[in-house]
Formats: sequence, C-alpha cells, structure tokens
Amino acid sequence: MNAAAAKARLRTKLPVLMVLLAVLVGAITLAVVAVRGHQAQPSQAQQVQQIAAGLHCPICKDLSVADSPAPLAQQMRAEIAQKLRAGESAGEIRASFVAAYGDSVLMSPPRRGLSGAAYFLPAIVILVGVLGAAVLIRRWVRSPETGPADDVEAAPLSATQRRAVHRALARLREEEPA
Amino acid sequence: MRRITRRRGILLGVVAAVVSAVVVLLSTGLGKDPSVVASPLVGRVAPDFTLSQLNGPPMTLSKLRGQVVVVNFWASWCTECHTEQAALDQTWQQFQDSGVVVVGVNFEDTTGDASDYVRTAGVAYPVVEDTDSRTALAYGLRGIPETFIVDKTGRIVDRIIGPVDATKLSSEINEVLLAGAR
Repeated sequence: MNAAAAKARLRTKLPVLMVLLAVLVGAITLAVVAVRGHQAQPSQAQQVQQIAAGLHCPICKDLSVADSPAPLAQQMRAEIAQKLRAGESAGEIRASFVAAYGDSVLMSPPRRGLSGAAYFLPAIVILVGVLGAAVLIRRWVRSPETGPADDVEAAPLSATQRRAVHRALARLREEEPA
Repeated sequence: MRRITRRRGILLGVVAAVVSAVVVLLSTGLGKDPSVVASPLVGRVAPDFTLSQLNGPPMTLSKLRGQVVVVNFWASWCTECHTEQAALDQTWQQFQDSGVVVVGVNFEDTTGDASDYVRTAGVAYPVVEDTDSRTALAYGLRGIPETFIVDKTGRIVDRIIGPVDATKLSSEINEVLLAGAR
C-alpha cells in the first residue's frame, strides 16, 4: 500500500521534476557559454566585427554594419577601428553612433524605456507559461486519483431520506431473481 | 459562484488590458512612416567639418557662424538630387545676400563626376567633398538627398529627407532668419 502511494506521489511529481531539470540544464549551458565567451581577448579585427554586428547599416535594409558591403558601412567599420585604436571602449563607440543616428542604429533595442520591455517580457511570458503548465500537469496527474467527489464529505441523511433509501433497497431485493 | 465571477472578472480585465495595449501600440505606430526616423541632431549644435571645395579653398562650417547654413548631401549619380537642384539654386539666388549659405556636400562620388555635374548643371553655390564619408556619419546620414538647416547659432533646426521643395525651403529659411533677428 505504501509502495503504491509512493509510486503515485512520484508519478505526480515527475513532470515538475522534468521541467526543473530542463531549466537547470539550460541555465548551466548558458553559464558555460557566457563564461567561455569572455575567456579569450579578441583581436582588434574581432572587436570591430563585434561592434559592427551590433549596429544597423543606416542605408541598407536589415543588414548590420558588419554584413553590409555598402561604402558607408565600410566607412563605419573604419571609424570603429580608428576609435578602438584611440582607446575608446565599445560602449563609447556605440554611443557616438547613437548620438548621430538615434537608438534605431542599434541592432538590439536599448535596455531602457519602453524598449526595455523586449528584454523582460519574454522572461515573464516564459515564467507564466511554465507555471501554468506545471499547474495544469499537476491537476491532470491528480484528477484520476483524487477527484473533487473524493474531497466532498458525505452529508448526513435526514430520517425521511433514510426511510426512502431503505424502501428503495427493499424494492430492489424483492425484484432480484432468487 | 461568487469566486468564479471574480476569477472571470480578473481574466476579462487582463484580456482587456492586453487588447488595449496592442490597440494603442498599433494606432500610434501605424500612423508613422517607418522609413522616416527622427534625427537626434535636431536642436543640437551641427557637427563641424572642414572639407575641400571643388572649386575653391577648404570650407569650415563653424566659420559660417552668424549665417544660416543649408547643408545639402548629394551625389552626381543620385537622380533625386538632380530633381532638387533647381530648388537649391533658387534658394541660393534668393538668400545669398540675406546671410544664408547653401553648401553642397558631395557624398560617395568621384571628384571628376562631381565636377562634371556641377559644371553642366550650373551649380552656383559652394560644393565640398566628403571623401571619407566621415561628415555623413557625423550627420547620421541615411541616404541622399538629405538637407540640414543650421541657424545662426550653429544649431540644426531641421532635417529634410528627400528632395527639397523651393517654396517650403524658402519659408523655413525666412522663419529661421526671423527667429534669429528677434
């Protein structure tokens, strides 16, 4: 009996455990990628490429400065290289382009203002989805064993009701074939 | 029964809030032309430049302080730039004695092609060469033709995307001149 109860309890918790395991594996993978990405010092050409990849080519459609063959994009890459040689940080270089072009020059929206919603909303949606799924799975797993009917305590019968039940049972016994 | 009603009310409220947010975003966003991006430079001091003229000594923007400057980015290969040529010439003729300078900034072009165009089209105002596109980048150029109006204090008061219209340009210059005279 105890073994069956433990088995049932495990069956209830299994989906939640699986979801937690998936989240854990994902988090570890992201952490490893994030740490490895910062280990090696990139060359100046790589730095130019990284910064250029984060900027929209202003005269192209949906192309980054890194990917665009347009002369203006080439000039932007040359300007990035020159600024890096002058000791400017990636943030300062990006800020100089934002000063001339506005936030729309950035490939990713800035983390402030209304654009910041692009960063936290997906996380909220995923969290709500995971919680909703967990609640639904839990209900779905529990329902065959402990349905709402099991939770309701039987209400005491009145004397009239008890007499009616006895009469019905007696009638059933009489009708039963011997 | 009461609990279910409250739950439904919350659900309806959430749905109504989401729908309202989407409607507001669409109604504000759909009215805008996505290709027209407001320049953060309007209201700020115009980026300075010293560029070589096609027919004359190097020109420095900051040395024109005290005059209204119309900075027009163009190229000989740009057909829309040809369209606005007459309007710019007309503006130059109309305002050159009123403290207004029109400067053509040649962008992504060769000196030969630019000079040929200036000669054949009879461009009378000064034209400078932005050979390394650095000035274009400083002005946040997104294409040509693009025109910036700089007031007497050196601040950009407007950016015009596409070919300029002579009537609109002259009325805008008159406003800037009037504002500067006050």
